[in-house]
Amino acid sequence: MGAGAILTVALAGAGLSYPLGLLSAKVRNVFATAVSALLVCLVAAAYGRSGEHVYYSGFLGLDLILRTDALAWFFAITVSLVGCLSVVFSLRYVRGREKVSFYYFALLLVNAAMLGIVFSGDLLSFFIFWEVMSWAAYLLISYNRGRALYAGLKYIVMSIIGSCAMLVGLLSLYAAHDTLVISELAERIGSRGTGFLLGVLVAFSIGFGIKSAMVPLHTWLPDAHSEAPSPFSAVLSGILIKMGIYGFVLVMYALVGLKLLLGLRGAWVSFNSVLCWLGAIGILIPTFIAVLQTDAKRLLAWSSIGQIGYIILGMGFATSLGLTGALFHTFNHAVFKALLFLAVGAVEYRTGGVRDLNELGGLIKRMPVTFACALVGGLGLIGVPLTSGFVSKWLIYKTLIAEGHPFLALAALVGTWGAILYVYKLLHNMFLGQLPEKYAHLEAAPFTMRLPLVVCGSIIILFGILPGIPLGAVGPIVGSLGLEPVQATLTGFGPQVGPLNMVSIFAAAALAVLAVLLVLRASAAPRRVAQEDSYAAGSPVPAGRYHHTVRFYDPLEGATIGYLRDWADEFYTRVAGGARGGFDGLRRIYTGDVRNYVMYIVCLLAFLIFVQMVWHIW
Amino acid sequence: MVTRIIQLLLSPLIALAVGVLFLGLSRKIIARIHRRYGPPLYQPVIDVIRMMSQRSISHGSLFELGVVLALAGSLVTVLFIPLGGTVICRQNPLAHGVLCPLSSSGGLLVVMYLMLFGPLGLALGAGDSANPNASIGVSRKLLLALAYEVPFLLVILAVMSHYRTISITEIVARQQESGWGVLSVPLSAVAAFLILPAMLGIRPFDLVSAPQEIASGPLAEYGGSYLALLAVQKGVHLFVVIALYVDLFLGGGVNLATFLVKMLVVFVAAEMIAAVLPRIRIESAVRFCWKWPTALALLQMAITVLSKSV
Repeated sequence: MGAGAILTVALAGAGLSYPLGLLSAKVRNVFATAVSALLVCLVAAAYGRSGEHVYYSGFLGLDLILRTDALAWFFAITVSLVGCLSVVFSLRYVRGREKVSFYYFALLLVNAAMLGIVFSGDLLSFFIFWEVMSWAAYLLISYNRGRALYAGLKYIVMSIIGSCAMLVGLLSLYAAHDTLVISELAERIGSRGTGFLLGVLVAFSIGFGIKSAMVPLHTWLPDAHSEAPSPFSAVLSGILIKMGIYGFVLVMYALVGLKLLLGLRGAWVSFNSVLCWLGAIGILIPTFIAVLQTDAKRLLAWSSIGQIGYIILGMGFATSLGLTGALFHTFNHAVFKALLFLAVGAVEYRTGGVRDLNELGGLIKRMPVTFACALVGGLGLIGVPLTSGFVSKWLIYKTLIAEGHPFLALAALVGTWGAILYVYKLLHNMFLGQLPEKYAHLEAAPFTMRLPLVVCGSIIILFGILPGIPLGAVGPIVGSLGLEPVQATLTGFGPQVGPLNMVSIFAAAALAVLAVLLVLRASAAPRRVAQEDSYAAGSPVPAGRYHHTVRFYDPLEGATIGYLRDWADEFYTRVAGGARGGFDGLRRIYTGDVRNYVMYIVCLLAFLIFVQMVWHIW
Repeated sequence: MVTRIIQLLLSPLIALAVGVLFLGLSRKIIARIHRRYGPPLYQPVIDVIRMMSQRSISHGSLFELGVVLALAGSLVTVLFIPLGGTVICRQNPLAHGVLCPLSSSGGLLVVMYLMLFGPLGLALGAGDSANPNASIGVSRKLLLALAYEVPFLLVILAVMSHYRTISITEIVARQQESGWGVLSVPLSAVAAFLILPAMLGIRPFDLVSAPQEIASGPLAEYGGSYLALLAVQKGVHLFVVIALYVDLFLGGGVNLATFLVKMLVVFVAAEMIAAVLPRIRIESAVRFCWKWPTALALLQMAITVLSKSV
């Protein structure tokens, strides 16, 4: 099956889900699930294919092209997988709410548009699908109304600014080379000077940077991620922001190419090093802002900005190790962040919309599967060994150390230790500690919610122990972009890269756990008691619950909160406020009074006559 | 193959024995400085055996698994750390008597991550015990970890940049050829020694399990065999941290005996300082770690980077 068939199924699925929903909700649900599952199968079946074909010719004299290659496939499988899990999770999440058919239509449309982006062979199709994605996402972000409307507005305004910047880059490429086909541009672009290349790259970087929430273009993300419906937050954070990363890889490596890219340097800075330092700042500051958050989804949103920093850092280095790490981390982050957003969504669904980290607690007793999966996701986010996040982060650290940038490595590593703080805060405040009285009879999450969680959790562990499976798909991408592919074995890396052998770490860990368990088994068996038993030591149990959540990291919060203002957001808000004041002033010339308009016309004519009489222009 | 299996078993056993012995030694040293007689050296062994035979309570599966994870994680970490031996053949250090069964799987970066399992396992288990004192203790533990990790990461990065490798066996081999790390990266060695008490959780940084304030913090609800295993975990963790210090700055050991002697020296030095200091608050601990050790480590890293790039 080619890219054309996949896109047809995706777009037709989105289009049909709305009318089907008007007929029957059940049919629509089954249909949406089937379409998204079919997409996963179709994309998986396209593994290893490559090729281009023109699907529409003559639009403004341009050929519209679909292209399949290793890079496109890798992103397509991520998109279709997370998209499918999100649809399955949505089945219960949106049941009984308003405009459900519209929700499925928009969700499938976003997924279809993202598939379109990755399969586009020319920048015009790329741009069209990009816009479809942006607008469909806008509809979903503001689905919840209320504060979500503001979040959506902020998102779409920034998105449009990014699109305009991209359009500038696109048009200058077209003006210079008369084509927008990526493979043709890649051949011809070598003739251009450094200034032109830098201009085009910066224009595209603004577009992609806004979409991927690269610091300092990230400010739409915390609002949008926390206000969107949870299954869509998973899509947003898991794959939509990765489209920016895809764009970066496409334009930097496939279009401009490695040789020209590395030529873009002055005496002290190069395009890549600026990107790397932005990535490092993007790891450090958002991580510590995430520690301060009390809203579960907002915490995860800031964490996403931090993790994007890792990807940008790895990608910016333009070495095979770094790019491999960045691409692998892209996939990993999609899986574990989707998992975490869905887990928070499951809790939100059962507790009636509570996301405040100070009002939950003890849910491990009621939702054990959700907790176990969230734990795996959290460990993956930290990058604990035996999760896939470890391997990708290891590759990125290794790059930084091997290239002799210990300060960047420090930012990356401190970011990881900061991640421990917020991951534990998230898990502890929601699932551990004492269970509030009102949640004592909470039901476990429904099956359709647990299934996506378990799938994500299994992927994280499987690819953590056998990283060779995903790295086998990453290798050809790195090869096709003109770098030496990293020699990965099924279990890790050989001595020329690493050495790293996850299976031996796994075996050692399993044996150690087994040994400790045997010792425990040999000692006296424990007695399971309720918490009050030991807590009150026989005295009457005090009324009320004690769960230490508020200002969990008090000394750190006190010390850092002064420095951790979102400067970028304040700046943009001020600019937006100023612009609004200016436009408001401008609006006042439309008084609605015809006499005023006549006066404007007369004034203009008088001005033109005056100009003509004095300077004789016409 | 047989030597490898023996090594795999030997390393953790040495860590267990030495770690628990060090716990006893620590009590003895502190007692003598306080002009008390102190318990016998093998007191922790008696305690562990006694606690193993006592019946404990449990609050849930994670409460139990947290302990298992913590101890297993610490034991696995030992396998990645060279415990003495001369490095002759770098391609295959095992064949020449370096006691480091898993030296070929990831190096220092893996060790740094594996050292996470201890605090993380304890934090999860303590969280499931639902005791607010435990939660306060965990919050302090994670903050303290962040506080000492910043200088510690700087130290590790300086050492890795200096030797241009992430493999510990390689670092040890280079020191045995051309002088100890304490001479080539001296400020890092000082910084690492300053944060050693924080990493070990001894005074003045024993605020995580402060018995008088928060009822031993994360350990509040643990008893019986779980408490015994956590005591053992503390010993193994102590072993790991000091062994790492010896490997990074004191050139490892030509054999196991010299390695252990070096460990003893470092440990006694750290304990002597700890014995005369009172406990400090978490804010002060964070401030201390981010001030002097960080400044020293940063300076050393700047020197290393500049001298390498010239």
